[in-house]
Amino acid sequence: MSRPSKPALPGVQLADRNLHFGWWSLLIFLSLGAVLEMLHGFKIGWYVDVRNETRRLMFTLAHAHGTLLAVVNIAAGLTVRIVDRFTLRPSVSFALIWAAILLPAGFFLGGIVIYDGDPGLGVWLVPIGAALLFYSIARIALDLSRRK
Amino acid sequence: MDKLELTFNGREYKAERSGDKLFVRVRPEGGSYGKPQQVVLVTGSHNLQILWLETGEGRTLQQFPFGYVVAEKMWAPVTETFLIPPNAKEYYSTGAWNGACMDCHVTQGQSRFIAGNKWDSQVAEFGIACEACHSEGREHIERNRNPFRRFKIHLTTKSDPTVINPASLKGPESGLACGQCHSVWAFNDMADKIDFNRHGAGFRPGARDLSQRFVVQPNVPDHPEQKDFIRRTEPDFFHNRFWDDGMIRVTGREFNGVQASPCFRGGEFSCISCHEMHLDSPGQTDAKTWARTDQLRPKMDSDTACLQCHKDMTARLVAHTHHSAESSGSRCYNCHMPRTTFGLLHAMRSHQVSSPTVQESIAYGRPNACNLCHLDQTLAWAAQHLHAWYNQPVPELSEDDRTIAAAVQWILKGDAGQRALIAWGMGWESAQKIAGRDWLYPYLIYTLTDSYAAVRFDAWKSLRTLPGFSDFSFTYTAPDQTLDEAATRAYEKWLGEVRNVNAAYRRETALDSDGRVRKDVFQRLRSARDEKPIFLAE
Repeated sequence: MSRPSKPALPGVQLADRNLHFGWWSLLIFLSLGAVLEMLHGFKIGWYVDVRNETRRLMFTLAHAHGTLLAVVNIAAGLTVRIVDRFTLRPSVSFALIWAAILLPAGFFLGGIVIYDGDPGLGVWLVPIGAALLFYSIARIALDLSRRK
Repeated sequence: MDKLELTFNGREYKAERSGDKLFVRVRPEGGSYGKPQQVVLVTGSHNLQILWLETGEGRTLQQFPFGYVVAEKMWAPVTETFLIPPNAKEYYSTGAWNGACMDCHVTQGQSRFIAGNKWDSQVAEFGIACEACHSEGREHIERNRNPFRRFKIHLTTKSDPTVINPASLKGPESGLACGQCHSVWAFNDMADKIDFNRHGAGFRPGARDLSQRFVVQPNVPDHPEQKDFIRRTEPDFFHNRFWDDGMIRVTGREFNGVQASPCFRGGEFSCISCHEMHLDSPGQTDAKTWARTDQLRPKMDSDTACLQCHKDMTARLVAHTHHSAESSGSRCYNCHMPRTTFGLLHAMRSHQVSSPTVQESIAYGRPNACNLCHLDQTLAWAAQHLHAWYNQPVPELSEDDRTIAAAVQWILKGDAGQRALIAWGMGWESAQKIAGRDWLYPYLIYTLTDSYAAVRFDAWKSLRTLPGFSDFSFTYTAPDQTLDEAATRAYEKWLGEVRNVNAAYRRETALDSDGRVRKDVFQRLRSARDEKPIFLAE
């Protein structure tokens, strides 16, 4: 199978990067979901005990955000391929990938060490990831709206 | 319990479920079932659960007369889950929760007596919630909405000044946070009693005294007027709660023991020296085990508890205990915190750290630690060893004290409190290992017919620890005739099927060579039984 005949413009390369990243990320975070199910299944106290509710919430959020942002990366990559005269800016591609890393990683790390009702320090990665996500999504929305 | 049907004092009780609500209907003797009353509250959790019913009189609650004994998965009349005289048929009743139980079974309760037996009680939270131990939380909550503040606290060793942490307090203040409930307390005066009733406890964790109340220590010269008042108005108050030397004898009031312990004078010793109220070491134990083992910190069911301070004792353990290092006689708890308190149908460790003496048994009737383990030995035997090992004076002893095992005397002629401790103690594995098991059968079987339900319960539980009786069925709340039949059945089973014909019975056990009781001794001790009513107000 040959690759699509679209010229290998930088924007498409960037979109490919998001696409590849998205699928690998999806694999990782779906696997994490299976691990969490296993922790539930074997009633592992470190995860299911009442006192570890914060950890459970953080890991669940890591799984959910990781999966969702993997899909968002795939969607972004596919959008470039489907929509004419639309490319991802390098900064958007970068921000989308790092949002998909920092957000779930922040939740995950925040769940490893917890302080009663508070997550660990890792959770401070979440607002950085959220800012990158906000920027990338807003930029995509604007670029799509403004294309000629 | 939605299909539960029980009878008590001629009344029939039937539980019904409607949706997620439970109701109880009562039928008096010869009458018909009355209106359903909703079960609106449960007090107790892992030992004994008591249900409370709506009365239709505002917030006044009525007790369901049966309690659920968790360990046995059985319902029993509440009156028979306490060590109280057999003729005290209805200890608790309407309004008891409002007037007494809620003092401790809720957080910041206000009884708010109206008139007659009507109450308009209010609580901050049902059960023991955060503020019960950590004091008021409004400022703590307000200030900790700021995540930067929270993380600053998480990442430093500084404790949060907006909330009380009993673990950061000195021993007396820390202990009082628990002792606000886990002590025998009384009001300073009538004005304080009224204030407590209307506005709830003025005590807040971290404080140095109980505000409207004080911890009652019989032999401490504080609050003399109040104690005199108690003696005049409730003559059995002290006897129902303390041994005659002032040591607490009921469970649930452990702070009295802690406060009276020599360890307490150091200023660091408190409840949380050994217990933890949050499971802080989840890897070492699971929540269920922790809850069922007195919420002890890891390893605090061993010598480690005492060795936290008495570090030098590790090296001279055997020299100190005169028992081998592995022996139960070398475990600090067994000698210094023997099971001389009773409640919730079982013997519990005294929380007044003390050293065993024979004098405590002679003068105050409290079983000493030596004879609680060496059940087959006499007081004279214990006195000789305590003299030889610790230079304790040998007290003057009666002929029986020199010739008959202390445990035999206590279970036959002791008061109900002593009998309950020994009935429980005869099922204690460590004691059985030392004192043997063969000779325990006749005494435990006889005790199945004790007039006190709590004593019968423990005799049955201990009997079940003995070979051949692990599945012995017995309803300790049954009528006298049924109890007699069960005891006869047990005796015949022991005599015909279980009895070890090769067993040797020490003379001190007052059994003959066949393992039967020596009738002359038995009848003499039994007729000398201390029949004074015992009402352990746990």
